[in-house]
Amino acid sequence: MSNVKPLRIFMTGVGGQGTLTATTLLAKAALLRGLPVTSGEIHGMAQRGGVVESTLLIGLKSPKIGPGEADILLGFEPLESLRALTYLRRDGLVFSSSEAIPPLSVATGQHACPDLDAVRARIAEWTGKAWYIPCQTIGIQAGAAQSGNIALLGAAAEGGAFPFGPDALEEAIKADMKPKIAEINLKALELGRKAVA
Amino acid sequence: MPHPLLAAGPGETLLLLGNEAIVRGAVEAGVNFVSCYPGTPSSEVPDTFFRLSPDGAYTFEYSVNEKVALEVAGGATLGGAMTLCTMKHVGVNVAADPLMTLAYTGTPGGLVLLSADDPGCHSSQNEQDNRYYARLAGMPVFEPSTAQECKDMTRDALLLSRKTGSPVLLRTTTRVNHLRGPVVCGPVSAPAKPAGFAKNPSLFVPIPAFARPMHTRLLERIETLRAEAETSAYNMVSGQGSLGVIATGISRAYLHDALLDSGLTGKVKVLELGQSAPLPEKLVLDFLSGLDAVLVAEELEPILENEVRVLAQKNKLSLAVHGKEMLPRFGEFNTGVLAEAVKSLAGEGEFVCASCEPAEGLPMRPPNLCAGCPHRAAYYAVRQVFGNDAVYSSDIGCYTLGILPPLSCADFLLCMGSSVSAGSGLSKATGQTVVAFIGDSTFFHSGVTGLINAVYNEHDLLLVILDNRTTAMTGHQPNPGVDATNLGENPSKVDIEAVCRGCGVTNLLKVNPLNVEKTKAALEELRRAKGVRVLLTEEPCPLFARRVYRKKPKMAAYVDAGYDASEGVLEKLACPAFRLCDGKMSIDELMCNGCMVCVQLSENIKARKRGA
Repeated sequence: MSNVKPLRIFMTGVGGQGTLTATTLLAKAALLRGLPVTSGEIHGMAQRGGVVESTLLIGLKSPKIGPGEADILLGFEPLESLRALTYLRRDGLVFSSSEAIPPLSVATGQHACPDLDAVRARIAEWTGKAWYIPCQTIGIQAGAAQSGNIALLGAAAEGGAFPFGPDALEEAIKADMKPKIAEINLKALELGRKAVA
Repeated sequence: MPHPLLAAGPGETLLLLGNEAIVRGAVEAGVNFVSCYPGTPSSEVPDTFFRLSPDGAYTFEYSVNEKVALEVAGGATLGGAMTLCTMKHVGVNVAADPLMTLAYTGTPGGLVLLSADDPGCHSSQNEQDNRYYARLAGMPVFEPSTAQECKDMTRDALLLSRKTGSPVLLRTTTRVNHLRGPVVCGPVSAPAKPAGFAKNPSLFVPIPAFARPMHTRLLERIETLRAEAETSAYNMVSGQGSLGVIATGISRAYLHDALLDSGLTGKVKVLELGQSAPLPEKLVLDFLSGLDAVLVAEELEPILENEVRVLAQKNKLSLAVHGKEMLPRFGEFNTGVLAEAVKSLAGEGEFVCASCEPAEGLPMRPPNLCAGCPHRAAYYAVRQVFGNDAVYSSDIGCYTLGILPPLSCADFLLCMGSSVSAGSGLSKATGQTVVAFIGDSTFFHSGVTGLINAVYNEHDLLLVILDNRTTAMTGHQPNPGVDATNLGENPSKVDIEAVCRGCGVTNLLKVNPLNVEKTKAALEELRRAKGVRVLLTEEPCPLFARRVYRKKPKMAAYVDAGYDASEGVLEKLACPAFRLCDGKMSIDELMCNGCMVCVQLSENIKARKRGA
């Protein structure tokens, strides 16, 4: 384990977006490449529209990431990317969806929510290495809105965020999913890669 | 084809959730019998056993509550079955009665109790530390920190229990239950046929004359178990130096990474206690000798810390024992917290956390009743009829989310089943109007006893039973009332209405909560009456209906151009599918679950075919 460079990836999204599916897929891809991997997830009541947070750590034992520890932040929703920014180390990598899912208080007009420009500006103060991808649109284009999560993984893999390439994700999708769903996700992966290329 | 959890061969590596790894460990040990009551963070353990049960060589049941689950398990182990019983931490409170006595009678077939504790209250009403229960009962404790250990410790805890006749506590925490990591499988043992019960009242019937010698035998057994802990492979020493750290559970993982991050790996002496009770005193004394200071790293209560202090004092050791004055007694640890403590004790300067300030003023995203949830409709009707004139007694389940405004239908809550009994106590003591809410699974768990009590004691209470035909919050587990599960129909249903009438409830009305007018009319009628009254609202959870009944909504609601924001549907119902943009309300068709409650509240909200 000692010769593997430690890496901490923090993922965040909204219940129902497939954040945990993406986490497991990423962990399987890491395992396919023989990397010592631990991941963690916090859910429970989260499927009822709450925030979902998950982690993936390579070369470490803990399933948790503390403030300022993450090397990479994957945000499946821009407001949640901003909320989780405190977990990212200075100049870490951000890959975020650019498409908002408003919390109920925003949807019903009680609270205002920072728009994408405000999110980008705040993140830019902490790191210059941030990419924004229209995940849901790409997902719909690939065949299912939910596959937007895989598009984000594709974008991050293409951007060299992981100690393995998109090919490991491709293998994990093929090994792990039913053929019909795999096809959609492989397409989402491809479109996500193109979005940052 | 059998699931990899059952079929994987020795040496094969699976990527498993901690909870799935526990299942595999039990299968490797040759488990005969599994009982449970679900509860996050433990739920995936029984759910996985249930899903695999058509192919598994074990007997599995969802019991109606934790006390019943442990009693059923107790009977099974007395009959010689290797048994696992699972629940969350607060569930052990419910099961505490049989637990204390099972430690006296012993568990001939082997019995492991999984207690999933929840530091940080991710999905629970408290942060109680169930390692106290192990001390109270005199049971050994295993505390895994990785998926591999979840598997290995479950297996070894079952084998230790069978060997020693002691029940064993497998104590996990949310992080451990919900971590995922590689697990190298071992061989699967075919379950041995239970030996059957051997009659011997002096061993198994704790009348006082027999209970006294049982207690002395228990005290002797604790020493046997201590000897096991002294040589346990899960209790490991590493590193060297004059500073020591004793760590247990998930703290071991944080400590490992904290030392790595601080460049202190190998420079601090570490004792990891995976089998943490009874305390292996010789091992700990040996570890302490030569140290100037020791830090005890354990989440929540200072249990090991106090045991180490006692040991040091008894043996006249002069080293400093650190613990809860440096590390929090609430919530979870993380790597940074341990790095900070260890660095300061090692005189290595301060640990600096280089994180940006959390963004302030961001709108929160609390969990919420789903779009189309029948509970929202029931709460809406109750609020229309009772407003702020009633005290709302709540219970444990999705429907606790009725606390959020504008529904605001949860004023107090104690524990599973308490809405009925605590609600009737409040009404009896104060004369205030009380409306209590309980779900179907919670009603069977412990609501029914409160209802019997309310009828017998002539309490004045309106109980609304929110029956959504499943146990929704923990992941759609079956309960005695359900029509179907993901394995098929429920052949032996228990009818809630008949149970209520059998308990002596004479004033009971049953409605579909999605029919707003009928629900309000029923509530008005019950409001005018006195005594114990029950409104049974029945409509399946839409997520469950989609998954198990394959029922997809055909229609969606939409807002007509004539809608006037003053109609207040948006504010009063607050469905997550509603949107307000530039003062105009719209409904997100992707989110809408087609319950059509909003359609009944304004003639300008209408239904149309999806995609139209």
